[in-house]
Amino acid sequence: MSDGGRRHRVARAEEVAEPGDRVIVDVGGQEVAVFNVDGDLHALPNFCPHQAAPLCEGDLTGRMVVGEDGWSWEYVQRGEVVTCPWHGWKFDVTTGENVKDEAVAVPHYEVERDGGDVVVLR
Amino acid sequence: MTQHAAGRARTLDSVDAVVDTDAHVTESVDQLLEYMDPADEGLRRIIEDAAHPEHDIYSVAHPTPPFIHTDAFGDVYGDHPTGTVEAKRSEMAEFGLDYSVLNPTLGLALATVNNDRAAVALAKAYNAWILDQFVDDGQGDILTPVLVPPQAPDKAAEIIDDRADEPGVVGVQIPSTGLVPPPGHRWYDPLYEAAEENDLPVMFHSGSGATADIFPVLRKWAETYAEDHAMVHPFTAMWNLTSMLFQAVPERFPDLQFVFQEAGVGWIPYTKWRLDDHYLELSDEVPGLEQLPSKYIDERFHFSTQPLGYTGDHPDHLAKMIELVGPETLMYSSDLPHPDFDPPEELYDRVRGHLDDEAVRGIMGETATDVFDLS
Ligand code: FES
Repeated sequence: MSDGGRRHRVARAEEVAEPGDRVIVDVGGQEVAVFNVDGDLHALPNFCPHQAAPLCEGDLTGRMVVGEDGWSWEYVQRGEVVTCPWHGWKFDVTTGENVKDEAVAVPHYEVERDGGDVVVLR
Repeated sequence: MTQHAAGRARTLDSVDAVVDTDAHVTESVDQLLEYMDPADEGLRRIIEDAAHPEHDIYSVAHPTPPFIHTDAFGDVYGDHPTGTVEAKRSEMAEFGLDYSVLNPTLGLALATVNNDRAAVALAKAYNAWILDQFVDDGQGDILTPVLVPPQAPDKAAEIIDDRADEPGVVGVQIPSTGLVPPPGHRWYDPLYEAAEENDLPVMFHSGSGATADIFPVLRKWAETYAEDHAMVHPFTAMWNLTSMLFQAVPERFPDLQFVFQEAGVGWIPYTKWRLDDHYLELSDEVPGLEQLPSKYIDERFHFSTQPLGYTGDHPDHLAKMIELVGPETLMYSSDLPHPDFDPPEELYDRVRGHLDDEAVRGIMGETATDVFDLS
């Protein structure tokens, strides 16, 4: 499915048509997940840097932050955060960074829609 | 002084200044009553009427008497009472301590005083006594935190504001065993605010006099003082550190510095690993934290070193442990005159040759000079 060595046609666009949809595909021997977040597509390796769990099989969640008033706890980024199924580390799907420690991150791959195909750039 | 004073071989050759960041006085209730504010006369009368004020005003209890094999609370060497500045200076001379930062003994159980007004009056009396008897002679080598009553954070803030600018005041001491609620709770915000505004570090010293009925150490089922004492200090420190970090005290008070005392060093790496692990795994429960707990510890927390523990089987392990902790977070302390004290050589002899000279000088005195602004 590769195209020019970096472009990988991995799925049909309708498989990730709706926000919250995801597919896990093979890209050059590596499992990669493509997520639809608010209509935009993002791809991360299906691999957790903690202990090698299949990260992208975890729940798509939000995360907790302290509100402007310094008191309230607010739940934000709904549907943008993947929670590792093994120990609960949370990664921002739109950047690949761990939400609590940006030094811990997985690669974030660009994704394009090309005709009816989903193309991962990697 | 006694025969101990003469002929001790000093080995601290590469260290300019040794700062003892946890030295004690052994104050009596009678001494405090003498220094009680005249406005607190009614409370003074109540306390005077107690046949056993350590139990009927404070709630100090031990499973068996503390340190029965040594003279902890009377006289370490047999010819000096330890509640005097002369005794303290003798200890400093004998052990080569250039500066001492004092802490109370009975006052470590201040959190056990049920009556809030009595706790406030006793804290104020202690501060008046320690400043007058130990600090105010202008020599500048004996320093003290302000002792504050954790029961009354608003009154504690007033005490801090009142004393912060006095010469020789270098911190705020919160007797830290038996704190209810624990020190991460917003209950203490007025106290932290006052310490931060006055640019004083908050110091947390645990104590086995305060283990009667409060987590993290329930003395009830400890059958001996040995069991009680072995665990009260590290358990208090772990619980308090956990509470303060996960309730984001360092984020809420960004200019505040923290000092933990009397738990030794070995518990710190384990606790850092554990807190970092929970920060990442239970992240929705720590929204107030912006970085790994261990980073706050490295940047803003210091730990006094005593009690190091017995390291004779593997002398090199202590230096390795200190590398794990981070030498820049540690400050030597003796705990004198309590009988589990560490002379400076107990630390120095184990680290010199293992850590570089700068790290050694930092632990023995330079870091404390900075934290307590001693220069
Ligand atoms: S393997 Fe992902 S959180 Fe542990």
